Amino acid sequence: MHSARITAGRLRLTMLVVVAIVAVFVVKLVDFQVVRAQELTLAAESRRTIPVTTYGERGSIVDANGTVLADSVERYDITAAPVNVDWETGLTQITIDGERRAVSNQEAVAKIAELTGSVAADLMAALEADRKSQFAYLVKAVDLDTFTSVWDLDIAWVYSDMRPSRVYPSGAIAGNLVGFLGLDEPLSGTERRWDECLAAENGQSSYERSADGVRLPGSLVVETEPSDGGTVHLTIDADLQWFAQQKLAERAAEVGADWGTAMLVRVDTGEIVVAADWPSIDPNDLNSVGPDDAGARSFVAPFEPGSIMKPVAFAALLDQGLITPDTQLVVPGRYTEGLPAGEYITDVFAHGDLRWTATGILMNSSNIGTVMLSNRMSLEERYEYFRKFGFGQPTEVDFLGESVPGNHGRVFTPGEIDAVSAATQMFGQGITATSAQMVSLYQTLGNGGVRMPLTLVAGCEHPDGTWTDVPVPNGERVVSEYAAETTLQMMETVATQGGLRSVITVPGYRLAAKTGTGEVAENGRYGSERIVSLAGVFPADDPEYALVVTLAKPDIMKSSAAAAPTFNAIMEQVIKTFRVQPSTEPAPDLALTW
Amino acid sequence: MSALPLASPRPDRAAPRPRRHLEVAPTRAQRRARPRLLPAVVTMGGIGVILLAQLLLSIVLADGAYRIADLQREQRDLQRQEQALTEELEVLSSTQNLTANAEHLGMIASGNPVFLDLSTGAVSGTPTPAGGSLTGSSGNQIGNALITGETLVQVSTTSPLEAGGSAGTGGSAAPPPVSTGTIPSPTTR
Repeated sequence: MHSARITAGRLRLTMLVVVAIVAVFVVKLVDFQVVRAQELTLAAESRRTIPVTTYGERGSIVDANGTVLADSVERYDITAAPVNVDWETGLTQITIDGERRAVSNQEAVAKIAELTGSVAADLMAALEADRKSQFAYLVKAVDLDTFTSVWDLDIAWVYSDMRPSRVYPSGAIAGNLVGFLGLDEPLSGTERRWDECLAAENGQSSYERSADGVRLPGSLVVETEPSDGGTVHLTIDADLQWFAQQKLAERAAEVGADWGTAMLVRVDTGEIVVAADWPSIDPNDLNSVGPDDAGARSFVAPFEPGSIMKPVAFAALLDQGLITPDTQLVVPGRYTEGLPAGEYITDVFAHGDLRWTATGILMNSSNIGTVMLSNRMSLEERYEYFRKFGFGQPTEVDFLGESVPGNHGRVFTPGEIDAVSAATQMFGQGITATSAQMVSLYQTLGNGGVRMPLTLVAGCEHPDGTWTDVPVPNGERVVSEYAAETTLQMMETVATQGGLRSVITVPGYRLAAKTGTGEVAENGRYGSERIVSLAGVFPADDPEYALVVTLAKPDIMKSSAAAAPTFNAIMEQVIKTFRVQPSTEPAPDLALTW
Repeated sequence: MSALPLASPRPDRAAPRPRRHLEVAPTRAQRRARPRLLPAVVTMGGIGVILLAQLLLSIVLADGAYRIADLQREQRDLQRQEQALTEELEVLSSTQNLTANAEHLGMIASGNPVFLDLSTGAVSGTPTPAGGSLTGSSGNQIGNALITGETLVQVSTTSPLEAGGSAGTGGSAAPPPVSTGTIPSPTTR
């Protein structure tokens, strides 16, 4: 009986020990599997899981013909892990010409520097900055050829990162319109204004990999898919844009202008074919021009346009039935009526009383005559016409920065305008406008008095082929068809009888043109600086294009004669490019004097 | 034991009766349930086959993973190459580059276009002589940092005249020369 008791005691003890051990295991199990499960799983996964960012491609910007103006490319950062460098022996295995051999670390770095065109000492310094570091940049953003040649050296401590980058294959052509990217975000132009369309979404995925870097089967987890950006289609013709910029640059250098713009618009659609700025930035090289020249003056730099504004007055007066082309007027050499004491208006050349018709006033660009005729309209009516022609408000293009007050010109309301400006605004002083607004005026006159919304972007084409933001060409009538066509006929006298007729006309084509020499106010006074323009619509008998060329502050030739050759060259190139048919009927012969 | 005479009236007390070893006789069912070799072999073999299959499967999978990795690398390389070539092409087709190359070959800008109305034979437009260089004396003013300035064709090997001649015969899209006196016109009646 005694031994049996002992046996039972042992058994009980054993059971107790077993239960205790099992209890310990259970506690540990619960701890691992439940309490710290997430933490441990994460730790385990991070040891073998590789997260990867999959890049979506930022959309490109193309012109009307599909010529690429901005495109996304891949560049490669060459990086190193200094901790993997063999600092003790100072040797690195590299492959040169298919032959594997050991060279000194310095030689290996020198080889990388040679291939990437960088300074070996800089690379060595980056590598040696912290010998225990896992990561150091050697060379940033090299192209594929360079990257491949470095990669082929097969150096164990060299790594790489892909870096999405941007190129502008056409350089400064439309550089003012396209804009550019900063390090993290678009900074200017279409790149910024249309970022919503262009921007790509990067994707995120992860996979587990084996010791030799091969992805374990079935371990790829895609968390978010990348999506590519859309393509922004501009209405610009890159070749013509180049030509206009080139001619502006040549002429600006000849006459010593500070800047120049040229805008060409299809009259029936309002599409902008050319919006040239000189100087214009080359987005590939942000230092190519100064900060003042990096934007698009044609859209955001209003100026006092001078006489190219006069067609507003004549079209409005014709629309109201207040004048005909033959309306007779005696125009004095000095005009003071309705102006404060001491103020007077003159014409560009001194004259006594002249018997001009309305056409003669427009052809001779008489300030006095224009003001005398405009006095037949109330201030409210004048203001209404200016607004309906699109002045004093951003154009429909809504170019980046255009909606900022001060960037879209100013038309004084009848309440705030003074007596002098009320008169001078009719000949384009005391009122400011951008080149885009000016070309919109001539588009309206060329389109029978119907103003079409100006368009620069034909739409955003998404990767799936759908289009959004396609402009709806809903025109708005500003003046009657009769008023618009008659104004053009009156303007034709500038091209048939004006002083610049031999310079601006292209043989065989009728042209309705207007010259403009705006005085530039500086510090509240008008000085000797001028902004000179030539604006026109052609062919005048069946208008297709409206063109405005402006040069600012020329040193020599401070009149519209400075802009005339550029206007002519661009008009001729447009005729050649778009195969514009010659005019079939001669211009009407309107009387200038009586 | 069987030699013990049954006739002996007394059992021999001194000699203890030998303890008999007793065994439970297996029933028929128990006998049948005894482990047999065949099922064991089949089971073990089955497990072996399954393990082997699993091994092979994972070898194939791993091999596939390597192939996928290889192909993906190849695809990535090809995509990179395509992109680099596209990039190069875009720069080559930029207006600045085309103009420079065209002028390098001696090409000049045309004059005013003249239109020929095929139905009436009427000519409209005013012809002007070809206008010479597009860029004038100062050369291209519109910068492009991507262009190296090299021209694609060397003029030393191709004179402008030869270039014009070869362009005329080389282009298969060029229209055939029109015989004098006849104007190609639609023959709808």
